[in-house]
Amino acid sequence: MSSTSKVPVTILTGFLGSGKTTLLNRILTEEHGKRIAVIENEFGEVGIDQGLVINADEEVFEMSNGCICCTVRGDLIRILGNLMKRRDKFDYVLVETTGLADPGPVAQTFFMDDEIRDEFTLDGIVTLVDAAHIDQQLGRSDESSEQVAFADVLILNKSDLVTSDSLDKLEPRLREMNKMARIVRSQEANVPVETVLNLGAFDLDQVLDRRPTFLEPEYPFEWTGVYSVEAGTYELVLEEGPDPNMSIVIKSDQEGDDLSLKDGAEFCVRKYADDAELVSPGGPISFDSHFDLELSAKGKKSFLIEVDGQTNIGLFTQHTAEEFDMKLYRVDSKDSSSPIDPNVERTWVAQHEHDDEVGSFAIEREGDVDMDLMNAWLSKLLAEKGIDIFRMKGFVSIAGESRRFVFQGVHMLFDAQPEREWGEMIRCNQLVFIGRNLDEHDIRRGFDACLI
Amino acid sequence: MSDIRQTRNTGILRDGWTGFVEDYALSCNWSQDGNVLMACDVMGGIKAFHGKSGEIFWECSDTHDSGLLATSMHPEGILFATSGQDGNIMIWSVEEGTPKTQINLGSGWTENLTWSEDGDCFAATCSRHAYVFDKNGKEIWRSETHPSTVTAIAWSDKNELATASYGQVAFYDIEHSQLLQKFQWKGSLVSMVLSPDGDVVACGSQDNSVHFWRRSTAEDSMMSGYAYKPTDLDFDYSGTLLATGGSEVVTVWSFKGSGPEGTRPGQLELHSKPISSLCFAPKGYRLASGAKDGTVIIWDLNSDGEGNPVGAAMITDKVSNVAWRPDGRALAAVGSKGQVTTWRIRN
Repeated sequence: MSSTSKVPVTILTGFLGSGKTTLLNRILTEEHGKRIAVIENEFGEVGIDQGLVINADEEVFEMSNGCICCTVRGDLIRILGNLMKRRDKFDYVLVETTGLADPGPVAQTFFMDDEIRDEFTLDGIVTLVDAAHIDQQLGRSDESSEQVAFADVLILNKSDLVTSDSLDKLEPRLREMNKMARIVRSQEANVPVETVLNLGAFDLDQVLDRRPTFLEPEYPFEWTGVYSVEAGTYELVLEEGPDPNMSIVIKSDQEGDDLSLKDGAEFCVRKYADDAELVSPGGPISFDSHFDLELSAKGKKSFLIEVDGQTNIGLFTQHTAEEFDMKLYRVDSKDSSSPIDPNVERTWVAQHEHDDEVGSFAIEREGDVDMDLMNAWLSKLLAEKGIDIFRMKGFVSIAGESRRFVFQGVHMLFDAQPEREWGEMIRCNQLVFIGRNLDEHDIRRGFDACLI
Repeated sequence: MSDIRQTRNTGILRDGWTGFVEDYALSCNWSQDGNVLMACDVMGGIKAFHGKSGEIFWECSDTHDSGLLATSMHPEGILFATSGQDGNIMIWSVEEGTPKTQINLGSGWTENLTWSEDGDCFAATCSRHAYVFDKNGKEIWRSETHPSTVTAIAWSDKNELATASYGQVAFYDIEHSQLLQKFQWKGSLVSMVLSPDGDVVACGSQDNSVHFWRRSTAEDSMMSGYAYKPTDLDFDYSGTLLATGGSEVVTVWSFKGSGPEGTRPGQLELHSKPISSLCFAPKGYRLASGAKDGTVIIWDLNSDGEGNPVGAAMITDKVSNVAWRPDGRALAAVGSKGQVTTWRIRN
């Protein structure tokens, strides 16, 4: 075992009765050939005879690091500091936390202490769930939903004590709260050790391999229509609809094939991040810019579009054309009574609101971000909203950097490390946020504004 | 750093002897007359070396189940205390290598041990309590339950003990079992030293700062900007200089005149990795520092805390402890691969 690589640490959490002790006992007694140091809470009774089982007092300390206030497990820092001196005696560390704990401080400990960061790496958080009781627990306490939200792996234990029907209902609910977690069913905590250790949970590639549709791109616009136009004046007419305003970006030179539409969408995402210019009925909409159409008046409203030469244009609108009965007309020609039909239309997956207090969403964008903008935005976001953001992790493509950067964060703290070279891979960004009452729209927009 | 790559020692350090313990060496302790050097490893191995020759004259292994955490040499060098993860304290006869006393404090880690200056008693910590025992292991005093684990202890006077934990430093009168003074500050205090005159208490904090109080005025100050938490702190014998770690650079604050507030500290730069041990020589402004890159450096300082290296050497791996022989004419260092090395000081 190389002494220069960091020791992976798994945090094991879960409510009383979820089967943590059973799981710990199995891990310690099974013949898996792995040397594991276990740090359990002070009342833990597992493996009393084993030298590398340590009982910890779970002391949560509040401290400040510059202007960031956060909490860490002071006792863990001492214990891990001591374990570092016996580095050659174990390959993994498992930290068991009591069921009443907010996993935040434990995870933050690995970001806050530099000596711990030098020697250990947070491999992942495993939450054990009592499948028979989790429903009630979620309703009753904040801690249980936090433990679900923090997990990289959710073990639905005692699955033999509930119907597969209720498990089928439970899983989607848990996925809504935490899009990132891998969900595993077990009876009597009989999961293989590999489920709990060496998770590489911060290796997003692994997560994506398992769930390829997990990161569906979500856009701030719902509909696109591609129209063939010639030099002249056009009119975009809208009837009454569901919104007193609607955002639009009209892209010049838009082709109708899939690839071009995707490119156009990426382009418009950046435009949507800019502040919109308000335009009243009768006013002009110019190309490649973010406009906010003022639609509060009754009846038909029209807006003018000037076209210089023959081209295909793409209208990227916040709502679908149908919702406003939106039509495009040529005004300066003889035949202006019939609308121009789009050559191609498509709808996009719209960003949606979550009902649960605790939820998660994923950002996926191609292209590079500006490092300074990214740092500034993220620092501000985490400083202001960090309390409600439990986890953040993903890859970011930074302009000027040949290596992909892995971002991971817990509450106000975040870490960014370069890892593999982009090489032939398409440069893109995939970032997942898990938290409580998050303003998804705001966070998406904030990230989009960092794109180049 | 190119000077340090020489395999021979430089400057005032002259080859002494080299031995080893079986595992990561935790500490080295000289007896008062310099005739014995104790070295202990984290797995509970203890070896007694002849100070001048390096010959082992007794050894013991597996002394503390699960791990050895702290050691302390009696001021007269006759007794040697060790404590460990098993909650046990053992008092050894230095000459015979046999345990004279054993105390069990429960199931918590006994991470701190220190003999009083006159050697009549010693203090220890276990979880949220501090204790004082006499030479024979009889409990004289036990603190109330601290709000969190006691991280450091130091004798502030005869019969007066200071304890540090999260959020506070407290001073106790052991004889009358009374709390004398308490300083509070919302931070995790991980190390503590007292100035020789007992007026200044300095603590290293988890938030990468050094916090100190003057007992006479209750004024406190904070020095921040360290790269790591400063676990290594040492005052020189006169209380003029406070050397601090928490970085590759040794930062030395001067307490002369009105003190270090508003002054620039001495910055001793030569180590390439963080400091892991600091020890002032028994007299003068001579400081020994050890670091995680295996380097040991001796510095001669002035009263401002500035100075130059006068000797340097390397051991095989991270330095875990450096200790001066009480006459200041020799230095010992132990490392993470079990290496025990001594040097004579040329003069």
